[in-house]
Amino acid sequence: MSALLEIRDLHVNHGDRPIVDGVDLTLEPGEALGLAGESGCGKTTTALALMKLLPASFNQSGTMTLRPPGVEEPINVERRTEAGMQVVRWRHVSLVFQGAMNSLDPVKRVDHQLAEAITLHERAASAGDVRARIGELLTTVGLTPGLGRSYPHQLSGGQRQRVMIALALACRPSLVIADEPTTALDVVMQAQILELLERLREQLGLALILISHDLGVLAETCDRIAVMYAGRIVETGPVREVFDAPQHPYTKRLLDSLPVIGGSRVLAPPIPGGPPDPSDLPQGCRFRPRCPYAAEVCLQDPPLREVRPAQAAACHFAPWDEWPPVTEAAVEGAAG
Amino acid sequence: MNTRWLAGKVAAALVTFAFVLVFNFFLFRVMGDPTSQLARLPRATPEEIQKLRANYGLDKPITGQFVDYAGDTLRLDLGISQRTRRTVWTEIKEALPWTLLLVGTGTLLATLIGAWLGVIAATRRGKPADDGLLGFSLFTYAAPEYWIGIILILVFAVWLPVFPAGQQMTPGEDFSSWFAQAADVAKHLVLPASAMTLMLLGQYFLIMRSSMVDVLTEDFITVKRAIGLPWERVVRSHAVPNALLPLVTLSAIQFGAVVGGAITIETIFSWPGLGELSFNAINDKDFPVLQGTFLIFSAGVILANLLADCLYFVLDPRVQAT
Amino acid sequence: MTRERGVLDLLLQTWRGRIGLGVLGLFLFLAIFGSAIAPHDPDASSLDILGGISGDHWLGTTEQGSDVFSQLLAGARVSIVVGFAAAAISAILGAAVGLIGGYFGGWTDRVLDALENWFLVIPTLPLMIVLARLLNPSLTVLIAVIGLTSWAGTGRIVRAQVLTLRERAFVERARALGARDSYIIRTHILPNTLPLIFANTVLIVAVAILSEAALAFLGLGDPTRISWGTMLENAFSSGAPSAGAWWYVIPPGLCITLLVLSVSILGYLFEEYVNPRLREQV
Repeated sequence: MSALLEIRDLHVNHGDRPIVDGVDLTLEPGEALGLAGESGCGKTTTALALMKLLPASFNQSGTMTLRPPGVEEPINVERRTEAGMQVVRWRHVSLVFQGAMNSLDPVKRVDHQLAEAITLHERAASAGDVRARIGELLTTVGLTPGLGRSYPHQLSGGQRQRVMIALALACRPSLVIADEPTTALDVVMQAQILELLERLREQLGLALILISHDLGVLAETCDRIAVMYAGRIVETGPVREVFDAPQHPYTKRLLDSLPVIGGSRVLAPPIPGGPPDPSDLPQGCRFRPRCPYAAEVCLQDPPLREVRPAQAAACHFAPWDEWPPVTEAAVEGAAG
Repeated sequence: MNTRWLAGKVAAALVTFAFVLVFNFFLFRVMGDPTSQLARLPRATPEEIQKLRANYGLDKPITGQFVDYAGDTLRLDLGISQRTRRTVWTEIKEALPWTLLLVGTGTLLATLIGAWLGVIAATRRGKPADDGLLGFSLFTYAAPEYWIGIILILVFAVWLPVFPAGQQMTPGEDFSSWFAQAADVAKHLVLPASAMTLMLLGQYFLIMRSSMVDVLTEDFITVKRAIGLPWERVVRSHAVPNALLPLVTLSAIQFGAVVGGAITIETIFSWPGLGELSFNAINDKDFPVLQGTFLIFSAGVILANLLADCLYFVLDPRVQAT
Repeated sequence: MTRERGVLDLLLQTWRGRIGLGVLGLFLFLAIFGSAIAPHDPDASSLDILGGISGDHWLGTTEQGSDVFSQLLAGARVSIVVGFAAAAISAILGAAVGLIGGYFGGWTDRVLDALENWFLVIPTLPLMIVLARLLNPSLTVLIAVIGLTSWAGTGRIVRAQVLTLRERAFVERARALGARDSYIIRTHILPNTLPLIFANTVLIVAVAILSEAALAFLGLGDPTRISWGTMLENAFSSGAPSAGAWWYVIPPGLCITLLVLSVSILGYLFEEYVNPRLREQV
């Protein structure tokens, strides 16, 4: 069976700053992959690179192959021109942006914007068909078809995000990338949107890349997870495994800082410091300056290797069978 | 909701106009002491002057004078020109269409060309085309419009005599048809309208450019590209309609400049509009005409601001909701 | 580009700053030493009417036979004096109205804001024309008229800045400690709005220079002094354009344009320095 999406050795540079540095990703049809990491680690850049939507000041290299079901020839994104990408975008891969973002044109009605996407990729669609499709799409995401006559500012944040999801489904793509789709929504709305994404995935057989800084969000929705740090994937594996037995200190720390509802676990101290500046990356392992377990060997680049079945990590000390307790002193030491 | 918004705007415009009336009254009746004008009458005895003052209502208390003045003004009784001895309103009525023609043509062209160049520059930020257009717009902003007018005359009426240098139509010509007359007027309009356009172009361009630059960083632009729209269509159907909104409001600020330009440009081209009328009034110290044109200019700017607000209301769905 | 770039760096290291400073410096030099450099008495007439460029008359002669170049030098002084003096008046007025309205709020603010609005709506040139005509133009009258009619924009900007400053912690603290309003304005509000007022005033200088030229062109200049606007008026009314006397017609306008351009460039530069968000747009 061939993968729906295969990304090999993706590099994105902004000037001489490496934003994404050698990312490999594979996605099976219908699979949900979670992409985790702090803001600025290259998650969004990876998504935009896949659709070739980065501004001209960014350089990207690496191979990206799409094999949508029903399409004979694999689509080699990296070889496509701008015009070639225009027929791939939305038809095969669509995007859902952050809820807080101004993702809809404020001066166009919602149905107009949905129709624009449909007719763009299906020239033959009749006006009646398009109208029917819009109604269907809005119903699918839990909105009344009448809302189509609204302008974006007349909708609530949650409704706008539903419209955005309807838009993402408009051309029946096989892959949807959702970039922080629930950020800036309240908790109830977050749960509803995640539920909706999950339901749609089951009903439509969509593959999903869910990008979030919130591991909790990914745990509920995804089959597999990839953790990014400073432009690289540091750990990847099935959600259960990664959550139960993380194999990279960064993943471990992210998980420790998750609040557990009803749990008695004491919250770990937050990860000291912040992610490194892409123009001034540390030598060797990029997490080294913040890692409580860092040692001499960490001055060498750790490759991403399989450390347990189906689970890979980029840490010299992996596999970790148990995590030594982290003292405040070690945290302080790492920070300093 | 909508009518309340509109009523508020109309009320604000009326208040501003009322202020103009008060200001105009005090300016000319108090600062420009009318008796000094009366004293210019040859050999007037004090009794005669007193009689005239009574005729003009100048012996009444100041509030009564203002009520008279406001009433006269609203009845379009703006006094009599000292130069031509005709009523000021007649002079204004004759001049107004010519000013509207010149200002309308200039504003329309400047808006269209300025918006178009603004889009070009914003989509080529930092490239030579952008730098060139920025430099050009700064130059036209800094250059006095009447000087540009003189240069246009020098180049296109003197060195290459292709267009007439002044007036609104060929004097003494007997036109065979209204079409021939319109063509003649159009030919006379070319240079003054070009000067007007060049005067306004830089500002409209800069407004449109910065508005476009703002809009192009919005997220929905990325979304529109992501759905597979070609860049030209993203610009045309989404960026431009959004960027035009600030152009509408900000261009309202320009109406004052338009009026100023009408005065100097009409003077240069002997264009028989309100501007030339005020220029003649300046030189002849024809205060009733000066007062009348100032009133009309102010009213015009207030009205134009109101129209811009209404246009914005029609164009931006977000205003209608609030 | 680092955000915290000094204003001197901005002036001396960017080509915009250098050009702006250079051209303004040149005109300042001419305004001060122009009468010493001038090859002729700018008012002296001769029989050489509308004469072209020659060794004696570098920029030809006027309809009175006067030397265009010498008149140009004399005009620099009027433009610069009127431009800077009127802008100073406008800055003081605008700052006062903006500070008082923004700081005290309430009815004071409403009245002052209405006044500002009114000045912003009223067409400026006709207003200046009316005032200048009624008062009979002289250098002082021109400066006063231009200063009095161009402060509203500054007032508006200062008011907005004061409104945000008033809510800041250090002002609240000072007020809580019982500091007097005049003290708070002097030590906390004014120093924080001064850069903004300055940047705006530089832009007003450009407007004032253009206004003086326009008024002089319309015959409302100081009749005892030659300014670039007066030169254009004389050139135009004597038919110099139709006579093809470009040497008489082009230089005064070009000088206005270059002076206004240099001042505007410096003004935009200061404005960007004060408000770094603007920098991203250019």
